[in-house]
Amino acid sequence: MSPLPVWYPPYGETEGYPVHALTQRPMDMYHSWGSQNAWLRQIRGKNFLYLPTKIWEGGGFAPGDYARVTSPSGEIVVPVAHMAALNENTVWTWNAIGKRKAAWALDAAAPEAVEGFLLNHLISELLPAKGDGHRYSNSDPVTGQAAWFDLKVRIARVGPRDHAEPAFPPMPRVVPQGSQR
Amino acid sequence: MTMLPATTEKKLGLVIDLDTCVGCHACVTACKGWNDQGYGVPLSDQNPYGADPSGTFLNRVHSYQVQPVDAAPQTINFPRSCLHCDDAPCVTVCPTGASYKRAEDGIVLVNEDACIGCGLCAWACPYGAREMDAAAGVMKKCTLCVDRIYNENLPEEDREPACVRTCPTGARHFGDLNDAESAVSRLVAARGGYDLMPEMGTRPTNKYLPPRKKDRPDQASLLAPLLDIKATGFAGWLDRMLGKI
Repeated sequence: MSPLPVWYPPYGETEGYPVHALTQRPMDMYHSWGSQNAWLRQIRGKNFLYLPTKIWEGGGFAPGDYARVTSPSGEIVVPVAHMAALNENTVWTWNAIGKRKAAWALDAAAPEAVEGFLLNHLISELLPAKGDGHRYSNSDPVTGQAAWFDLKVRIARVGPRDHAEPAFPPMPRVVPQGSQR
Repeated sequence: MTMLPATTEKKLGLVIDLDTCVGCHACVTACKGWNDQGYGVPLSDQNPYGADPSGTFLNRVHSYQVQPVDAAPQTINFPRSCLHCDDAPCVTVCPTGASYKRAEDGIVLVNEDACIGCGLCAWACPYGAREMDAAAGVMKKCTLCVDRIYNENLPEEDREPACVRTCPTGARHFGDLNDAESAVSRLVAARGGYDLMPEMGTRPTNKYLPPRKKDRPDQASLLAPLLDIKATGFAGWLDRMLGKI
């Protein structure tokens, strides 16, 4: 395995998916920092899909809007925000903010569980087949997974919403909800 | 009302580089992590697992989008904490003497035993650098990690504020701004470090370094001529051969 950066064309279908979607893991959410102190949520408890000016104005977006984001693997509906200092064909978000309802001992109404989202739904679980037909897991073999840079999507405005999709019911609480202190 | 010292022997403070700050919040995390244990009451949180959590922080980072008319858009990340002012209005406004500035090093601190939680100091501070702890009812602020910088139980390299120690881009610097030869003073001189809102007359110790000039969108790269280089002769042959492998 080479430590050097590589470039390759995005896997699979890219026709009709003109925009690169990047994920970046927020440094304040790294598991090694602060032992998952609940107060880390106050730094970044909600994420947006950041849209460059070309897409923001071209799609007629306004503050409070959501967008339908589609890749060959799936579709999500997520809150968007304008970011001018961004490549005009790229959108991005903080990954790992979105949480399943009742996960992380959070209130089911926590913004992470209602408006928070992941791009994972848009990313194939498996890499393309090797010569022998085997398909490896689409995750970094060293670190597990942190971010993807080869995802292509298309984006359409859906107007104001109050929650991101897909939305799943709360999961059973293995750990009780955190205290009010 | 509380008196300020006429002069201070040292002026310990921070120099924060707005050019290299990437807004990662490592300083915010390290600050609350350290100051939640030890000096004064803990930095409490309200409803930390709920839908609308809040809490006390001594250092916050605000990110601003800037769209100049004649240059490319920029994101500016702006860390904000106590500036340990020479003419600290938070000290002179304090009715109990709880808020004070140390004569030996210029650090502005709160004696929490004497603090009655009236909030006048937070009202007087033009930088919004003080936060009332909602659980303890006393005012919290940056101590410049006074329990680290002189702490001989820590390894020497750790005797600086937690925010400075953790910053992954080296955007935060700590030192004596009263000493013209100190590393921080020389940095301020070289980079045009400036006072935040000097018109408020607070004479802050902390300095901010402005973002460096950025390339303009219509400006050709210095490396542009190199893009057109074509290998000729032996190098050209080698390039073609290696290109086939």
